[in-house]
Amino acid sequence: MALFPLQAVFDGDLVVLLVPVDDTDPMTVVADKVAHHVVGHRVAAQDRPLRVRHDGRTLPGDATAVSAGMRPLDVVEVGYVP
Amino acid sequence: MPRLARSEWYDLTRDMNWTLSYVKEEEAWPAELSDGFGLPAEAWWAWDEPYKVTYPEYVHNQYGKDASVYAVNAVVGRSRMYERLDPGWKSAILAHYGVIAVPEYLASLGESRMGRFGRAAAWRNMATFGALDELRHGQIQTYFPYGLLPQEPRADWAHKALHTNEWGVIAARSLFDDMFTANDAVSMAVQLTFTFETGFTNLQFLGMAADAMKVGDVDFGALISSIQTDEARHSQQGEPTIGLLVEHGRADVAQRLVDHMFWRSWRLFALLTGLSMDYYTPLEHRGRSFAEFMREWICKQFLDQFRDFGLEKPWYWDEHFLPELDWYHHALQLGIWYWRPTVWWNPDAGVAPEEREWLERKYPGWNDTFGGYWDVVAANLRAGRPEATLPETFPMICHLCHIPVVAPAGYLAGRLASPRPYVLDRNGRRYVFCSAPCRWVFEQAPRRFQGHTTLIDRFLGGQVQPPTMEGALAYMGLSPEETGQDATGYAWAHAAPHGRTGPRD
Repeated sequence: MALFPLQAVFDGDLVVLLVPVDDTDPMTVVADKVAHHVVGHRVAAQDRPLRVRHDGRTLPGDATAVSAGMRPLDVVEVGYVP
Repeated sequence: MPRLARSEWYDLTRDMNWTLSYVKEEEAWPAELSDGFGLPAEAWWAWDEPYKVTYPEYVHNQYGKDASVYAVNAVVGRSRMYERLDPGWKSAILAHYGVIAVPEYLASLGESRMGRFGRAAAWRNMATFGALDELRHGQIQTYFPYGLLPQEPRADWAHKALHTNEWGVIAARSLFDDMFTANDAVSMAVQLTFTFETGFTNLQFLGMAADAMKVGDVDFGALISSIQTDEARHSQQGEPTIGLLVEHGRADVAQRLVDHMFWRSWRLFALLTGLSMDYYTPLEHRGRSFAEFMREWICKQFLDQFRDFGLEKPWYWDEHFLPELDWYHHALQLGIWYWRPTVWWNPDAGVAPEEREWLERKYPGWNDTFGGYWDVVAANLRAGRPEATLPETFPMICHLCHIPVVAPAGYLAGRLASPRPYVLDRNGRRYVFCSAPCRWVFEQAPRRFQGHTTLIDRFLGGQVQPPTMEGALAYMGLSPEETGQDATGYAWAHAAPHGRTGPRD
């Protein structure tokens, strides 16, 4: 387990955030960690699941930053499933 | 002793150039202090500016200005004027003092460099007056807030700010170091006096002085007016410098220097003046919007000057700069308000119902984009959850302008193709940029910028301890008593919609 800093863009938000996650966090947890700073703060909550995109593709919920081939400070885009 | 008429001695004393024989040109004007960009040494002797003044005249004029403006300050200091000012306006001037006062002193170092390393005697003469001007501006803009201390402890940041690692200060210091503290004399004449002073601050100071008088801040109005008269004179150093570069076939240099510094100046200008004009100035005293001011004054004047020199508008003008006029400072406003503990002034939300109507009128579509963020924030405040309107992490910060990356807001506003930051991997290090022009400026001179660390670099590198929001505030020099609070105690969130008398639901 190691700290893994990411740049996070939440759909509809204002700013690119620094979000430290753990390199063993599944994407479901990564999504929640990003949403924690945005949803209900600047973007209204929706009753839909979240997803994480990296390099233009949606990652499986059980993928980790390492298994997805991410590097520290890679950009992830998080948002509600359409 | 008979006195000569001014006309009999002025030109000789102002512009006495000579051919070097004891030292080489590159020893007298090393490129890192004065890059001649290949022009022959004697070509610079044609340097001429229109605003001529002698030293006795200069001293007489400056004495009069100081006597006048310090007299206003002495009278106002015995009044209760400051405490009666609008809280938003107080925020505007505290932000101004923190970012500008000490850099004015640094600008005197830059002017002194031109006073020694300017490539013509007339230029060195003018720059010497410029150095004296900037010393005065540094002194006066630390003295006035010093007088406010009994009423306004945050005025201490007029002197303190530039000595801290507060994020906005890092951004300002990076800009001003690039522009004058660490710039060569020729580039500085183009970038400080032409691009920044002629292009931005001259007009800004005129506008701020008028706004100050409208809101009843005669102290700040007198101060800014007095400074502006100096700026109008010493900013004249830019045009003849560009003129000579163009005349001798180096329009490419002039173009690159202007493109570089116009963008960087715009970044800080949007942060300071954009927020001040559209959010901090009381609604009843607002005239034109920030975007209208930019289009009618800054853009028009600048394009006219470009054309006069045969230069082109910067490559980013239509695709990046003009679209930002409608969204960039709105994003900074919300970001700075949300991360308000990280600034030394009290940000004014400026989004009470009647202010939102004004914003929608000036920026059609504002309610659908930026209004949506503020709706969520206001709902939290009305529900008694102010903690939900405070940050727990940090925004990414641009490696060039050192301002948070707000590209997602531009994307939401339909002005950018992507919300993503620009990422550059270079020599094993990852750089992040907020915009294509910031990346372009970096890539023009990577060795100049690559060693800079953003606040995020320092946080991840372990310099911020403990690595928490509280640790970061301490690192930035902000004690709990100094961190920014909402300027109106959240009154705006509870205000009734325009036309209704009761509180909001």
